[in-house]
Amino acid sequence: MSLSRLQRGWHRARRRPVAVVGAVVVLLFTAMALGAPWIAPSDPLRTDWSKIRKAPTWAHPFGTDDLGRDTFSRVVWGTRISMQAGVFSILLAIAIGVPVGLVAGYYRGAFDQLIMRLTDAWLSFPFLILAIGLVTILGPSLTNATVAIGLGATPTYIRLTRGLVLGTQAEDYVQGARALGAGDGRVMARHILPNIASALLVQATVSIPGAIIAEAILSFLGLGVQPPSPSWGTMLSAAQQFLEAAPWMAWWPGLAIFSLTLSFNLAGDGLRDLLDPKDY
Amino acid sequence: MLDFLLQRVAISIVTLLVISLVVFTGVRMIPGDPARVMGGTDADPAGLAEIRAKYGLDDPVPLQYLRWLGLALRGDLGESIRTREGVVRTVAAKLPITIELAGLSLVIALAIAIPAGVFSAVRRNTIWDLLANGVSLCGLSVPSFWLGIMLILLFSVRLRLLPASGFVPLFQDPLANLERMIMPAFVLGAGLAAVLMRQTRNSMIEVMSADYIRTAYSKGLAGRVVVFRHAIRNGLIPVVTILGLQTGALMGGAVVTEQIFVVPGFGRLIVEAVFTRDYPMVQGVVLITASAYVLINLLVDVAYSLLNPRIRIRGGET
Repeated sequence: MSLSRLQRGWHRARRRPVAVVGAVVVLLFTAMALGAPWIAPSDPLRTDWSKIRKAPTWAHPFGTDDLGRDTFSRVVWGTRISMQAGVFSILLAIAIGVPVGLVAGYYRGAFDQLIMRLTDAWLSFPFLILAIGLVTILGPSLTNATVAIGLGATPTYIRLTRGLVLGTQAEDYVQGARALGAGDGRVMARHILPNIASALLVQATVSIPGAIIAEAILSFLGLGVQPPSPSWGTMLSAAQQFLEAAPWMAWWPGLAIFSLTLSFNLAGDGLRDLLDPKDY
Repeated sequence: MLDFLLQRVAISIVTLLVISLVVFTGVRMIPGDPARVMGGTDADPAGLAEIRAKYGLDDPVPLQYLRWLGLALRGDLGESIRTREGVVRTVAAKLPITIELAGLSLVIALAIAIPAGVFSAVRRNTIWDLLANGVSLCGLSVPSFWLGIMLILLFSVRLRLLPASGFVPLFQDPLANLERMIMPAFVLGAGLAAVLMRQTRNSMIEVMSADYIRTAYSKGLAGRVVVFRHAIRNGLIPVVTILGLQTGALMGGAVVTEQIFVVPGFGRLIVEAVFTRDYPMVQGVVLITASAYVLINLLVDVAYSLLNPRIRIRGGET
């Protein structure tokens, strides 16, 4: 990326300070996920019977939980699980959805019809019900929850990619590439894909927060990450039993989910404006 | 018109068939003897033999599917491993509770979203518009179960205004029922309100810039009349479609909300079924939910085309 493009991007970004704040917060959470071992003051799994459900203090800024574990350390480590589930599930959805959508949109015909009917059916399962059904078959764990969320998001990517491919078919650059003798594979990979990538990226910023919430919900229901692993969802599920005695157990993990998803949404809105200024 | 309806119905039938195939295959992907999966670990040999005969588990798989589909169409989705009651019966007993919850949350969502959306579209780019957008973005981002927990903290633990959980049947004591349903309904409706508000705002902005609105203004009509008599009618059409698509989210959301507020509906049923490995129940609930979703969207599409003959969606070109 050249300097002038960077400068232009910065000028545009400056007009949307809220989106910039969102992006910065997302980056901070990413840093927290990567640096969890160095940021968390104590072991998120270490129980301490002398510190059960203590209100926030300087030593434990977010208080301690029902097993005397440091809530702040658990929230920090929980970032890693949430980010992992959010990002990897959407990467899975993209890895399956984009190639299938490309082929369906490019060749049309019977394969396209088959894929469309399959995605119709797939989309008829409410997302959470589908994820619950899949986790029932696969068994509850972080990996399986991630797979279930990813598979749930796949049809959206198939349809989006297909729609975008259909839109590019009549474009001159596609016709031109074909006229120059480029094969189907080359047209799809070198000409169509780069042109639809930005729309897919915007969709990803919209789906990642959804996937993060989905993981938290599955873990909250006991169908995702299993205790004692520090996931925001399992923390909230534990907190619900002690709302009277230790409300702080419920504040922080939820606030973490909320601020991360809100930041993703803000950054995503900004990114959409940046990449597609004609839209709004 | 008839062509469109027939096409739409045909697509729905195909979708339902694919759904049934997916659910059927899903249960067969569970490792172990299918008869034992459906009968539970404590089923005796006689019970297992009965299941084997009923579903023809010794037949080829395609035949098994047809037999299972036939039973399902006649309303026989097997019986719960846990309670030995029919799946359809159990679901039918729980469904009204969830429908009440969903209905209430829909009312709440519409009551917030439509006025807010119309207002912020009319007062576009003012502080009110900004505020409404900010609130709706928060509504989209807040995890519903955390919102629920925070409401319990505020209204039940601190202020002691509302009971935190429990359920009273509507016809037994409507007031007590409402007292316990209002928080779950708000939690379930909040996310929907955010989505609907954004949609209402966008489509109202589009409608307000249409020629016929300018004509209405230049005729000298008051702003209020233009908005309420002319703009809203067209502005709310896309909202109806979104509403249909959102029923799926509503059903999924009910699972979580019922779990937090201990509402004994359909959503709690599925979570309990998953935990007790009650596969026939899980299968039945998933199948019923997905079918309901397809039918609701079919109805929405039909209603949509009746309301607005201008937009005749070409079913095959989705």
